[in-house]
Amino acid sequence: MELLIIPLVFALIACFLPKQSLKYVSIAGAVTSLVVALVHTLAYCGSSHYVSIFDPNHVTTFGLTFKMGYDGMSLFMVILTNTIIPLIVLSNFKSEIASNKKFVSMLFLMQFALIGVFTSMDGMMFYIFWEITLIPVFLIALWFGAEERKKILTKFFIYTFVGSLAMLLSLIALKSTASSFSHADLVAVQLTSQTAFWIMGGFFLAFAIKTPIFPFHTWQPDTYTVSPMVGTMLLSALMLKMALYGMVRWMIPLAPEAMESMVPIVVILSLIGIVYTAILAIKQADIKRIFAFASISHVGLIAAGIMVFTKDSVSASFLQMFNHSLVAVGLFLCAGILEQRLKTRNLYELGGIAKLAPKFGFWFAVIGFASVSVPFSSGFIGEFLLLKELYQYEWIIGVLAGTTLVFGAVYTLRAYQLSMFGAPKHESFIDLTWNEWIVFFVIGMLVLAIGLFPQVIFDFVGPSIDKLMESVELSKNIVE
Amino acid sequence: MTIETIILSILALPLLGALINGIFGKNLPKKIVGTIATVVMFASFGLAITAFSSLHEMKIVHLYQFINFESFHLNFSLQVDALSIWMTLIVTGVGSLIHLFSMGYMSHDKGYYKFFTYLNIFIFSMLILILGSNYFMLFFGWEGVGICSYLLIGFHFSDEKKGLLNSVAARKAFIMNRIGDLGLLIGLFLILAQFGTLEYRELAQMILVEGINPTTWMMFGITFCLFIGATGKSAQIPLFTWLPDAMAGPTPVSALIHAATMVTAGIFLVVRSNFLFELAPMTQDIMLYVGLATSLVAAFIAMRQNDIKKVLAYSTVSQLGFIFVSLGMGGYTAAIFHVTTHAFFKALLFLGSGSVIHAMSDEQDIRQMGGLKKYIPITHITFLIGTLAIAGFPFLSGFFSKDEILAHALHHNIIIYISLAFSALLTAIYMFRLYFVVFYGKFRGSDEVKHHLHESPLNMTLPLMVLAVLSVIGGVLNIPSLFGEGISHWMSHFLEHTTLGLSAVDPVHLSNGQTIMLMTSASILTIIALVVSYFIYVKKESVPVSDDKITGWVKLSANKLYLDEIYNFLFVKPIELISTFGHRFFEVAFLNKSIYGFANLVGKSGEIVRKWQSGIVSSYILWMVFGIVGLVLYIIIKK
Repeated sequence: MELLIIPLVFALIACFLPKQSLKYVSIAGAVTSLVVALVHTLAYCGSSHYVSIFDPNHVTTFGLTFKMGYDGMSLFMVILTNTIIPLIVLSNFKSEIASNKKFVSMLFLMQFALIGVFTSMDGMMFYIFWEITLIPVFLIALWFGAEERKKILTKFFIYTFVGSLAMLLSLIALKSTASSFSHADLVAVQLTSQTAFWIMGGFFLAFAIKTPIFPFHTWQPDTYTVSPMVGTMLLSALMLKMALYGMVRWMIPLAPEAMESMVPIVVILSLIGIVYTAILAIKQADIKRIFAFASISHVGLIAAGIMVFTKDSVSASFLQMFNHSLVAVGLFLCAGILEQRLKTRNLYELGGIAKLAPKFGFWFAVIGFASVSVPFSSGFIGEFLLLKELYQYEWIIGVLAGTTLVFGAVYTLRAYQLSMFGAPKHESFIDLTWNEWIVFFVIGMLVLAIGLFPQVIFDFVGPSIDKLMESVELSKNIVE
Repeated sequence: MTIETIILSILALPLLGALINGIFGKNLPKKIVGTIATVVMFASFGLAITAFSSLHEMKIVHLYQFINFESFHLNFSLQVDALSIWMTLIVTGVGSLIHLFSMGYMSHDKGYYKFFTYLNIFIFSMLILILGSNYFMLFFGWEGVGICSYLLIGFHFSDEKKGLLNSVAARKAFIMNRIGDLGLLIGLFLILAQFGTLEYRELAQMILVEGINPTTWMMFGITFCLFIGATGKSAQIPLFTWLPDAMAGPTPVSALIHAATMVTAGIFLVVRSNFLFELAPMTQDIMLYVGLATSLVAAFIAMRQNDIKKVLAYSTVSQLGFIFVSLGMGGYTAAIFHVTTHAFFKALLFLGSGSVIHAMSDEQDIRQMGGLKKYIPITHITFLIGTLAIAGFPFLSGFFSKDEILAHALHHNIIIYISLAFSALLTAIYMFRLYFVVFYGKFRGSDEVKHHLHESPLNMTLPLMVLAVLSVIGGVLNIPSLFGEGISHWMSHFLEHTTLGLSAVDPVHLSNGQTIMLMTSASILTIIALVVSYFIYVKKESVPVSDDKITGWVKLSANKLYLDEIYNFLFVKPIELISTFGHRFFEVAFLNKSIYGFANLVGKSGEIVRKWQSGIVSSYILWMVFGIVGLVLYIIIKK
């Protein structure tokens, strides 16, 4: 329970604290949450059982059960959240935003809602937390975003809201035959493949928009670009992981009967997204937009991996989610540093910065290489396994998805080269401050550690994935 | 020391050097940085010799399990056998000499510590590639050397004039390699799907002992994909155009990475997978002809290059093609033999060209040189030895290793033999051209450059001398049986003894008469090339003309057959077009419009409803009256 309460408490007290203390309080809160999550992790490690954190044992007339709890997968996502939040706080430590109570409060509200999403074992609770996350992200972008944000944010809001409504409809339709909204009850519902298709379709729309999967992605590059750095980080590193997690936890187990018809559709859409957005990223001039497209491309691979739904592919997807979050924070921090110091994101106005700021040049290179998944980085393992699984699903899909290796190198190196190499175009550039350095260092070490010992993650989420796959197989068999 | 500790130390030493220099190098004096990097290399080389002398059988050094899935495992483990140890000797041996050379060559460079850090990491990655016991480890190292290559080609990225160009060359190398890597990766997936393992030992067991023989098409698919990987890293058609551009890197890098070690990774891959390739004759043929075409094309282009390093780069491509021909004919030990001698004389030539460039105040155009033999005597003599070795001058190393491949060709098909001999002739011609234009005649550069001409310091000339000696005697490793059964083919026997699959490959044995015929004709061709070049470039003192005065085949050669332009037109431009137009029309115009259209629809419908909630009480009353009237009417009608 403390997993949820700590961020909520910090979100509340942030409203009443003096300005000067805010950033220290926020770092303290973020670290406390992380420590608590790690304590839970150590206690849990290696098992696959379900740990309840809140269960009033009461079903409302509406069917709400309030069940909250975690297994390996949920806990993994909680650790992910609680690792990323301190990094985000640190990234912004020296900016004005860190001393703004609106920001600090919203950040912790976000953390609270995310942990809620990951630990909900009740469909309606999941939906409610899912919707709450929209508020902080939207408000942060609205309060602190770039000038042209209003129209773009409206688009973003409409988009995600339509998705959420579709998910709500699916949930209600399922509930009409189940006794409650609890995960177990919803999973137990048997469907014809026809109904299952519509139900999965509703979930898919919500998750496809949030992820985003082609062709539901057009809100994303714009929103990423107008959001402040912290907003982009929240969106890419954490918010979209809800959708991927949702696919594993809710979409597939609730309507596995529709797998046969849905898997090819989703895999092919993801594939188009992987290749198409990677190609789009090649010619962009706005560095943030390049990383935004890159994100769609990378996440498409994870989504495809989830839909293939073998144990190996789902395990690899979890690893890759962690990797993507770390790399996303790193990349958007790089873009943020450039934008904040030079007031431009246009690659053609940048150049030669590696010479002016060698530390930044080095860490940008590290993050860039991690993003193109070189050996010794976690992405290397993740992409290797995901492509292998896709290849085994259908060889041509694996081959086409593999082109992301080439295109990824093209756009990442181009972005790096145009901004960092060549003769300097600016007089001076402030090198990394200590807080930025820590963020890069932590990301680098984590990427390296996971890259060398990926089995740690597979051992952690593996048993829970086994259990999930069993239940899906079971409910599929009943219908046959 | 057990073999395990030795092998791990060989690997760990370069990594240690890189860590020390990478973390503390910035604050250490250059001397210490260079010494650390070089000493770890020599230590590593010493240990490699120990491992070499105590090698009796294949050994697996298992470190830990990388991935442990129910369906398959990936191990972090090393395989010690003749092939891996031999390659380790080349990499650490030549690597040590090049490190030593770099201490002098890079002494004025600001990024000194970075340079040595990268070099050490490169050696570490290369050793992982060579020593790994499975394809996953190979891929690990394969990608690792790719990054080091990228970093080192673009090493002078902030140069005022050439900075951006250097980094463009680096990016090109990385991306073209990645295309090859994708092929290799798919090959790995195929192997996994077919055999369920990536361990060399288990694969060899399945194929050689258990006799599992998948369909021909499967084997073709696997080996073809592996070969695509090899064409990227080892610069074969169609993926070779990155290598000449890679000369943008500092010269020791060209010597180490782009001549002696990394570019041989593709050859190593094929030799390592010999038992797979033996089951895929189709791929072997493709390899043969691709290699042959590469060898001829690159030699043709090298004829009219005027950048000293570019000539050597195309020469490397050509020689690698030569080796692939050998691989295509099943001549695995002959291939490794040529890899070895090539590492000696090509590293020598590159370092020699480095010494020339150093003396010439960074000028690389041979039209600005000339008559250098009296200014830089040691460089001159060693460069001459390198030239003679690569040209196949009798009894130098290149002579024997080329002959070995030609012997395979003669055995295989006379047309291939003739084409290869022609390629060898071209090699001799362009190398002598290079040598004479640089070292003979009058000095053609500016007076200022002439004033600065100087021989390089000892730490640069010493590696040259060592490599020169090796280039002369390297042939002894694998002399043909003509010279006595007992001492012949030492290297082939050594490799076959413990390398998986190699003992199953039939060796080619020519009669003494054939061997003599072969050697004589090769010698005659080389000497003809030498004499002709001497007359053209020394007696008539003709100097390559400037670029705008050339026509015909010379122009074709000088412009590299316009391959870069063709690739640009065929691949780069279309993708860029998709990128631009995809964004402009599909993203911004179509998808966005449809979304905004939807949003507008919502807005419009809101407007209509909004009119009803005007806030004017009288209109509400009016609507209310309408409502009541309607309701009353409804009730009346229903009744």
